[in-house]
Amino acid sequence: MRKMLKGLLILLAVLSIPVGFFIKHEHAVFFWDKIPSIEAIFGVIGAFLLILATAILSSFAQKKEDFYD
Amino acid sequence: MIKAIPPAFFFILGAMLIPFFKGKLKQVYILVVPAVAFLDILYLTPGTSWVYNFLGYDLIFCQVDRLSLVVGYIFIIIGFLAILYSLHVKQDGQHIAAFLYVGSSLGVVFAGDLFSLFAFWEIMAVTSVFLIWFQKDKESLNAGFRYILMHIFGGCSLLAGIIIYTVSKGSISVVQMQPGFAYWLILIGFGLNTAFIPIHTWLPDAYPKGTITGSVFLSVFTTKTGVYALARCFAGTDFIAYMGGIMAVYGVIFALLQNDARRLLAYHIVSQVGYMVAGIGIGTALSVNGGIAHVFNHILYKALLFMSMGSVIYMTGKRKLTEMGGLAKFMPVTCVVFLIAALSISGAPGFNGFVSKGMIIASAVEAHMPVLELMLILASVGTFLSFVKLGYFAFFTKNPEISSREAPFNMQLSMILTAFSCVFIGLYPKILFDILPYSVIHYHPFTPSHIFGVIQLFMLAGVAFILAKAMVVPHRATILDFDYFYRMGGRGLIWLSTVPMSSFRSTLQVRFSRAVYIIARLAKNPIPILEIITAYVYLRITKGVRYVSGFSSGETYDEDLYRRPIGVGVLLAIIFLFTFALIYFIF
Repeated sequence: MRKMLKGLLILLAVLSIPVGFFIKHEHAVFFWDKIPSIEAIFGVIGAFLLILATAILSSFAQKKEDFYD
Repeated sequence: MIKAIPPAFFFILGAMLIPFFKGKLKQVYILVVPAVAFLDILYLTPGTSWVYNFLGYDLIFCQVDRLSLVVGYIFIIIGFLAILYSLHVKQDGQHIAAFLYVGSSLGVVFAGDLFSLFAFWEIMAVTSVFLIWFQKDKESLNAGFRYILMHIFGGCSLLAGIIIYTVSKGSISVVQMQPGFAYWLILIGFGLNTAFIPIHTWLPDAYPKGTITGSVFLSVFTTKTGVYALARCFAGTDFIAYMGGIMAVYGVIFALLQNDARRLLAYHIVSQVGYMVAGIGIGTALSVNGGIAHVFNHILYKALLFMSMGSVIYMTGKRKLTEMGGLAKFMPVTCVVFLIAALSISGAPGFNGFVSKGMIIASAVEAHMPVLELMLILASVGTFLSFVKLGYFAFFTKNPEISSREAPFNMQLSMILTAFSCVFIGLYPKILFDILPYSVIHYHPFTPSHIFGVIQLFMLAGVAFILAKAMVVPHRATILDFDYFYRMGGRGLIWLSTVPMSSFRSTLQVRFSRAVYIIARLAKNPIPILEIITAYVYLRITKGVRYVSGFSSGETYDEDLYRRPIGVGVLLAIIFLFTFALIYFIF
């Protein structure tokens, strides 16, 4: 069941990319607003950057639970 | 016609009467107070009333405009819902602290001058700390002290700023500030309550350690009065706009690493308040409306998140994600309301966060601030990831060791009503748009690109979560924040006071005691002082000379050296008698 749901999410995510070509931004101001399915790119790059940031942060800021005791 | 009363008075005076009610009557009473306050606020009309002269200045307790009204409405609504959530609490002290906290927050909102604003601001800090201390464990006590220390610092900065501003401008009106020394002091005071980075540490430190019901109140009032004060005095400042962007990203990065459920939520307050601060900082009509709409919506879904996680902690005793899991089947109502709150904070279409977050991001685009727009989008991705993590590890991951049942009825009812509000505003945002500070704003949240863009963003971020789940699995750990520097600085200060400074103090004390002793002895008979000093110096010199010359034979005893010659005393007595006789006979 869980695997099926995961598979469905991945399928929908992939399918949403071509659908994005048919949906235009109403008020495109910056150049990226004109790129089709830009939110998909934001989603992937954003998640990657955040996970990278948490990995870097935890490498030096992660201490034992009783650190301040 | 009866004049409407400042809503703060209902809660502040209402708090005094709580101990006089018992049992069910008390429960009815504490629900009636916010209901009456809400009826009162409906009768408030724009303008200034309840003005009193103090030292030549006008103290204004009820300054009403669209901005104060919209914040006042939501403060009273959430006050009612949070009181309903805490209806089962037996300690009067908690109710009194909560009433005074809500009342003083309303006092800030309707204050028309800086003096009364400051007074309510400080009452807010003092009363809110009791909602932490009522948890009555060592961690809460310590966190409460750190909380109040930070707020005292912010309060002192605010007061200094207000005094300098008042002296230089000759006015105490709450108006847009002009750059200067007072400007920065007041900004630090407001910024501390708004959790500006790096003076935000009191928030994720103290809020997870409050009582179950107290944290719901805490999540609402302090930071939002800060945002309100910024909207009054600092709207349209680029520094504040970018500070908002930094807060939004900073909050989600730290939230992703947390294991304590309420600490995760606390970091999300920093992040979400960042959106509001960005909106206020951009300063256009759309952005200020967006910021205030986000205050309204955030209060609802954040209180709901604290309520749902509070229910989990109340029923299971587990605070950490590593100890939770599988609660969806035991607590279905809590799980559903949590999902509604999570979708709302993430900004999913059909939920209230979608509307206000969209307004702020659209205003950043409108103001041509591309970096800020990207920061806010990045924070959206992080928010979604955090709540997928929180929901997954609290409610859906397998945990055979856990079992629970639903929270008490009053807690469930409060959560259901709050969840309904999130969905209602999400589907029918006009009700919120109609009460925002700027009335003539055209913003259409439900455009195809906005709806599709958000769904696509979430789907791809969701896929990233599946692929990188191992990276965000909660661990039993402490993540150091800027509070490391404050705590270490504090410890350094204590060391400085107890070791070197204390040693210096005791040395000084010994030296001064000896000096006093010597002076006291000499004062008994001051006549031979000169002689003793001469002898002392002579002894030191001769000793030194002997030491240098290598001559170490024993000193010869000279009886006249130490004997006090009686002749000096006799001579002085004769001089005195002669002088006395001379004066007597001549005059």
